[in-house]
Amino acid sequence: MRLSFYQRNADKIRIFLFILIMFAITSPIILSYFWLILRSFSVDMKGFIPTQLTVKNWRFLWSEIKGYPNIWKTTLNTAFVAIMVMLFEVFMTSMGGYALSRFDFPGRTSMMKFILVLHAFPSVSLMVAIYYVLKYLNLLDNLWGIILLKASLETPWATWVMKGFYDGIPWEMEWAGLVDGYSRFQVWRKVILPLVKPGVAVTAVFAFLSGWSEFIFINTFIFSQEFWTLSKYVKATIGDFRFADYGLLSAVGVFYALPTIILFFFVSKYMIKLTIGGVKG
Amino acid sequence: MPTIRVVNLKKYFGKVKAVDNISFEVKDGEFVALLGPSGCGKTTTLLMLAGIYKPTGGEIWFDDQLMNNVPPKYREIGMVFQNYALYPHMTVYENIAFPLRAKKMEENEIKKRVHDVAKKLMIENLLDRKPGQISGGQQQRVALARALIKQPKVLLFDEPLSNLDAKLRMMMRAEIKKLQEDLGITSVYVTHDQAEAMTMASRIVVFSRGKIMQYGTPDEVYRKPKNIFVATFIGNPAMNLIRNLDYIKEKGKAFLVSENLRLELPEDVAKKIEESKNSGKFILGFRPEDAKIDQKESDMGFWAYVYVLEPLGRDLIINLKVIGTEELIKIFAEDEVNIKKDEKVFVKLQHGKIHIFDSETEELII
Ligand SMILES: Nc1ncnc2c1ncn2[C@@H]1O[C@H](COP(=O)(O)OP(=O)(O)OP(=O)(O)O)[C@@H](O)[C@H]1O
Ligand SMILES: [Mg+2]
Repeated sequence: MRLSFYQRNADKIRIFLFILIMFAITSPIILSYFWLILRSFSVDMKGFIPTQLTVKNWRFLWSEIKGYPNIWKTTLNTAFVAIMVMLFEVFMTSMGGYALSRFDFPGRTSMMKFILVLHAFPSVSLMVAIYYVLKYLNLLDNLWGIILLKASLETPWATWVMKGFYDGIPWEMEWAGLVDGYSRFQVWRKVILPLVKPGVAVTAVFAFLSGWSEFIFINTFIFSQEFWTLSKYVKATIGDFRFADYGLLSAVGVFYALPTIILFFFVSKYMIKLTIGGVKG
Repeated sequence: MPTIRVVNLKKYFGKVKAVDNISFEVKDGEFVALLGPSGCGKTTTLLMLAGIYKPTGGEIWFDDQLMNNVPPKYREIGMVFQNYALYPHMTVYENIAFPLRAKKMEENEIKKRVHDVAKKLMIENLLDRKPGQISGGQQQRVALARALIKQPKVLLFDEPLSNLDAKLRMMMRAEIKKLQEDLGITSVYVTHDQAEAMTMASRIVVFSRGKIMQYGTPDEVYRKPKNIFVATFIGNPAMNLIRNLDYIKEKGKAFLVSENLRLELPEDVAKKIEESKNSGKFILGFRPEDAKIDQKESDMGFWAYVYVLEPLGRDLIINLKVIGTEELIKIFAEDEVNIKKDEKVFVKLQHGKIHIFDSETEELII
């Protein structure tokens, strides 16, 4: 029996085709990032070919640009929002998730159903109501307003996620801690919390990224340039009333995405090692 | 070491009566086993002793102190869980030291104690590893070390050997027993393995469906089982039963009979039956080692066919089908017997080694 060329190389051909298809699917994203990076270092582009290289587009890093706030101040604002949202969420969900998972309080099931419904509800539709609340609290044009808003909108869902991680920890682990002479709170802190570290890490990363990339609320509720974050800065380069500066737009865009990409390089390796909710041993 | 007294203890999970009104006592320094099939409420009882579950009703006393509302950390108990429940993020050393850290003990003292107990349990070389990096048997030792380190007044075990292989289980069985004897700590040991309970405990609480069936020494529950449940649960192979028997008297002699079977009863047994409150139907029980095979008929026994032979090396188990009732029984054979499949033999029962239960209540009559 003679095998055909295809049969002899079936495995290789299949893998080759697989890669080709994957590349075709992902190429719009990869190519657009590729274009963005190239564009940020060129005067103009002909398709994918820069006409002339330059670093002028990156001038916002070392000099003030008229009509824009200082980039470092803006970056600091962005980081501030992202980190605060992260801290709030981690604090609340690590406790709330435990309560949802372990305590049998009245209304627990309906609460969990309600959280699911809440999550499906688009927060943009709350805009007007939020405006009045923030105004009443005197938090308009204030980054704290954004932080509290983000954290409170995301906490219910993140709590649900954390509950999943807590559900994976056997009760006996907790009982062992109680028998070993600790209070329930101490057991949570010394035994249970370290075991759901993967969950805390996931929650923290997602909270950070959502704070970092927040745009709609910033655009709506922040008016002063001194409170701008990077998303607003990028938006401004597109310009409602000025001429769009594509070079600047590309450079700021790359600058904005950089921390996200770096973070993913560090964390993805860590996250892949963890099965969601699982503890070994 | 305290005496544990459990009085009318109950635990309901909604409609499920996991533990239903039980009372027993564990004496100072005693080793008591809670024995029963899966789901009968053993773990629930143990968790109430530990203070993790709150009883639905009843009382738990340690000596003269009511423990119902005492949280686990004040009970001075050590516990070994079924799946060990070692903390996966801590090293073996940290696991064992964990109960001492709760007491804010000095680091030097902790170190000394951890090494002492690790040495006793032969796990000193594992102290730097994580629980995920040691074998099941070693994990079991670590769990034991963690339970022992704070020198508890009461030790609770929840099927600590059920995850080990047969050989290791036999070894640890003896080791735990020795350890408990040396330390003299009042211990409650949960198991569903009757051999474990028989070999280790000084008394056994036999459980079924949340209720206590019998509480006694291994010898008592073996020799004088209070009911059919205990009789069949304890002993391997189980006690032989011949059901559905009637009691009759002919010419001053007493018999248990069914259609094709006729068993003459000694006088004292007959008297006990007559004195008892009974439903008129009886179950005869006898242990595999308490019957003998014979070729000719004699006073107390019945005829049976040899069904299957099971050689065990040292022993031979003969499976027989009772003629007339078709019930299958098992008998330990004496070494010299020479019997073949399908042969008809006489099963001779021994005076004083038969048990008679009431068919309805399944309680022991004699
Ligand atoms: N938290 C709970 N909620 C509801 N029912 C429970 C709970 N814990 C135990 N039960 C029920 O109570 C009964 C006794 O359970 P328990 O765990 O004490 O059994 P066990 O004797 O330890 O069994 P096993 O040998 O399988 O461990 C079972 O029917 C079980 O389903
Ligand atoms: Mg159990």
